[in-house]
Amino acid sequence: MSKKKISRRKFIVRGALGTAGTLAIGTYLFRNSIRRSIAGMANTADTPYMGNTKTPIIWFETTAENNIIFHCPKVEMGQGTFTGLAQIAADELEVSIQQMQVIHAATATGNIDSFSTGGSTSVSGLWQPLRELAATMREMIKGEAAKKLGVNITTLSVRDGIISGGGKTLSYAEAVKDVTDWEIPNTPVLKNLKDYKFIGKPIPRIDLKDKVFGAPIFGMDATMPGMLFGAVVRPSSIGAKYIDSDTSEAENMPGVVKVVKEKDFVGVVAKSRMEAENAKKTIQVNWDIEKAWQTKDIEDMIKVGNGEPIVIQKEGKAKSILEDDEGIITQEYTSPIGAHAQIEPNGAVASVEENKATIMMSTQVINFSRKEVADRLGFDEEQVNIIPTYLGGGFGRRLHTPNAIQAAILSRAVGKPVKCFFDRKEEFQNDTFRPPTHHVLKAKLKSDGSIEAIEHNVSSGDVMFGSPLVPKIAFSIIGADVGAWRGGMIQYGKIPNYRAISWRVKLPFATSWWRSLGLLANTFAIESFLDELAIKTGKDPVQFRLDQIQDDERGHRLKEVIKAASNKANWKDGVTNDRAMGFAASTDANTPCAHVAEVSIENNQIKIHKVTCAIDPGIAVNPDQVRAQCEGSIIMGISASIYERMYVEDGQLRPVIYGPYRMALMKHAPKDIDVVILENADAPGAVGEPPMGPIGAAVANAVFRLTGKRLRSLPLELS
Amino acid sequence: MKISFNINGLPKTVEVDKNTPLLWVIRDILNLKGTKFGCGKAACGACTVHIDSEAVRSCSYAVKFAEGKTVTTIEGLGTEENPHPVQQAWIEEIVPQCGYCQPGFMMATAAMLEKIPNPTDEDIDNNIINVCRCATYYRMRKAIHRAAALTNDSSNPLNS
Amino acid sequence: MKKKHLGYSMLLLIISVGISVGVTYSNPKTSDYKKLTSANTEKTNSDKAFNKMMDVLSHKRCVNCHPSDNYPKQGEDSHKHLFGIQRGTSNHGVPAVKCITCHQDENNDYSGVPGAPEWSLAPESMKWEGLSRIEIAHSMLDKTKNGNRTHEQVMHHLTEHALVLWAWNPGVNAEGIPREKPPIPKDEYIAAVKEWFENGAIIPEE
Repeated sequence: MSKKKISRRKFIVRGALGTAGTLAIGTYLFRNSIRRSIAGMANTADTPYMGNTKTPIIWFETTAENNIIFHCPKVEMGQGTFTGLAQIAADELEVSIQQMQVIHAATATGNIDSFSTGGSTSVSGLWQPLRELAATMREMIKGEAAKKLGVNITTLSVRDGIISGGGKTLSYAEAVKDVTDWEIPNTPVLKNLKDYKFIGKPIPRIDLKDKVFGAPIFGMDATMPGMLFGAVVRPSSIGAKYIDSDTSEAENMPGVVKVVKEKDFVGVVAKSRMEAENAKKTIQVNWDIEKAWQTKDIEDMIKVGNGEPIVIQKEGKAKSILEDDEGIITQEYTSPIGAHAQIEPNGAVASVEENKATIMMSTQVINFSRKEVADRLGFDEEQVNIIPTYLGGGFGRRLHTPNAIQAAILSRAVGKPVKCFFDRKEEFQNDTFRPPTHHVLKAKLKSDGSIEAIEHNVSSGDVMFGSPLVPKIAFSIIGADVGAWRGGMIQYGKIPNYRAISWRVKLPFATSWWRSLGLLANTFAIESFLDELAIKTGKDPVQFRLDQIQDDERGHRLKEVIKAASNKANWKDGVTNDRAMGFAASTDANTPCAHVAEVSIENNQIKIHKVTCAIDPGIAVNPDQVRAQCEGSIIMGISASIYERMYVEDGQLRPVIYGPYRMALMKHAPKDIDVVILENADAPGAVGEPPMGPIGAAVANAVFRLTGKRLRSLPLELS
Repeated sequence: MKISFNINGLPKTVEVDKNTPLLWVIRDILNLKGTKFGCGKAACGACTVHIDSEAVRSCSYAVKFAEGKTVTTIEGLGTEENPHPVQQAWIEEIVPQCGYCQPGFMMATAAMLEKIPNPTDEDIDNNIINVCRCATYYRMRKAIHRAAALTNDSSNPLNS
Repeated sequence: MKKKHLGYSMLLLIISVGISVGVTYSNPKTSDYKKLTSANTEKTNSDKAFNKMMDVLSHKRCVNCHPSDNYPKQGEDSHKHLFGIQRGTSNHGVPAVKCITCHQDENNDYSGVPGAPEWSLAPESMKWEGLSRIEIAHSMLDKTKNGNRTHEQVMHHLTEHALVLWAWNPGVNAEGIPREKPPIPKDEYIAAVKEWFENGAIIPEE
């Protein structure tokens, strides 16, 4: 085994956490790993993991109790990433899952994904690099143990972080103690899948107990010594720009420490949250509001045909065939503005001193939050430490974090730590919404009932281009908004002629990432249309789909989930005992998923009794959490498809509270969700978003069978 | 104003504006962070606690009304060593995802089971009306039935 | 004296027009005026008081909690209470979602949740939602429906019960916007209720 001696400088050895020794495997090692990972992903639509490969960083620490602290570069927002990544690390580290502790990596010490946590890429992106890092660390520790035990490394065996050899044993904690120079081996050969003890097993979430016993783990729970409370005035009107404000009353309110006026916002710092909020209410802000927007204005903008079209998919002669007047089937579909409505509001606890800033917060963009704060404070990025907390829901809402800047500014103004959060109305009115969409689907059928040509046009507000994460230049490079057309391409490759066209609309309010991006709306439109075509041909909608899918690997995996879902649900087209089944399928980020929804109409309301879901994430690192993500996606998708809608009235986005913003509650959730997991690929893929795709269409297709009425607008409303 | 009440078995006196929502007293003064702020409008239920055994949304409860009363928060419902049946069921069914709303749901469930030891699905639909954005409702329903079974199972050490 | 009577008569006319939506008064050819007797006058006073009282009792601040089904109503548009809140077996909600889960003894300006002592729904027998003013009045005096209350007890409920009088202190909604109050000032309403009962609690003909 060739070994490369590297200096101690490349690792960080810390005693502060009470750790026996800290191994920061990054730098050099990680660069190779990430390169292979990117190469491996070039064939898929997955976003590779984009970690820091430059500076020394901590991945794992061994504690005196012989546990491993894993500094996770991805945040835990409910998707189960901490658990899945702990399983992956434990298997190659040769420790038990109970020995794994996972914390969020802070920007000051950890390896932070330079992009984000999102897009269902956390486990898939780290699958290869994390196993290689863990295996390398295992070999490094074994190397030290061999020296201390005075035996050859090849004679050592490891179990649960205990190294045995030559009749003696040594714990990892003992092996790494006092080591200053490490030898790094070439990347070891990884274990065979079947030899993994934790990967592939339904390990209970490792954050389960904290979450059941009310541990203070969220951004909202964070505190710092001497902390004060801030409140910032945020606008209610679309496009409102801060001009100035009258704060005379606020300055004399009880508990107020300071009123802070900036060029772009005004805030107040007080001794308690209520005092800050009470003072904030008295501040009169002069806003520059260009126009009092109405829902109709937005609907008029979101229309296929407005703006510049970008062809995102093209095969054969769809355009010329569908220009014919003869026998063209055309339908239109729409989806509304959607709010994130995550329960933990946005905010941060910030402490800004003369030359450093520390921020504790829920964020999906740790590095970006750091950059924004550093830029505003005039600091170098290294002077700002973002300490991520657990997220009380993400869903894309925490990819934009001006709240970190506001807390930092308030802290600097008073010279003390400040906690500053949104209230709920501000959440609803200052969200980065899921954009509304308008879809035009066209098709021509052959005489044998197969599809000769199909075209999907989608008009959408920005998703990716609406995000400050994405440089403005991206539009000229990429052209179409990949977020807006996620799920918008035709997945039925046997159709000889198909096309997909994206129409970009810039809306007057922020629209951006929302769990699954365009997938929810695009799949609703395409899969509803497929159902309409199937009915026209008189074919069974499941068979109709199977007949149009190509025979390559992607097609094979999609066919398999379609068959699995329909078989498990005992698929039957038609109404039985006042219930009907609806079917839909989609492939998102290389993960195919199919749903059968079993629906009835009760008191003129859509009632969903059961959803059978088949999903193929390639490898299910944690089958229980794959199920959990499917269940959650399905119900959240039902919520978005049947109940949720923001509207615009007299310049304001409304509603501003749960309740009027209707969401699925316990009584709306199906009592039965049956998840079938297939594993037809050799690496884990996306899980958290793909199951949101087909649910809207599956329900709408069932409703058609019950009522004869085709609902082509989300949210689905019977009358 | 000084207000005294019992919280999680301990007598506490706080000096605070009498109209301060109990939620902020619990979180910021008593430093019990398990009770969550979600909306401040008694709409989402994340702040649910028990006051004299009734489920109450603490964001909409002026602290002055707590005078002389008994308040229980998620921290006082059970502990890792001595979990409440609802918490045990939540663990067994692996309910939480992001986890933020879960204390409110568990408190609402515990209050319901006090009054309806064997809830039907309809009881659950009518009584558990909090909001969970991760939409963990499917597992919650299973956990609620399991908690009821744990509570009613006399062989369970929890019930001794 | 005569002048005053005329004044009452004019008022009554205006109220009548208001009630009957002006159907028969649109284009009178001749005057229907009849000289008032003392019996007329008493009736007029009583009816006037009745109408004032009913302007209040038929207002959403009252009717929202006198539903004809098992769901409280809320808001200026009297929509079904959000989150499917129900009457429950004792008019105080279901076991884990009682009125007191959110509503306390006074309004909460922070949350915008209204409150008053004994916050609850009126019993099913006292359903007013969808009833005419006359029907509400009959229901209110009907011992089989009003909780076996005498006229005096009903009068006390209407003029002294904190939950009823909350209507004039309805607080702000979730957005901090004041709720609409009944159209008659509280003191005037209380005086009208007392006058109506003292005049024998006579319910006008439909």
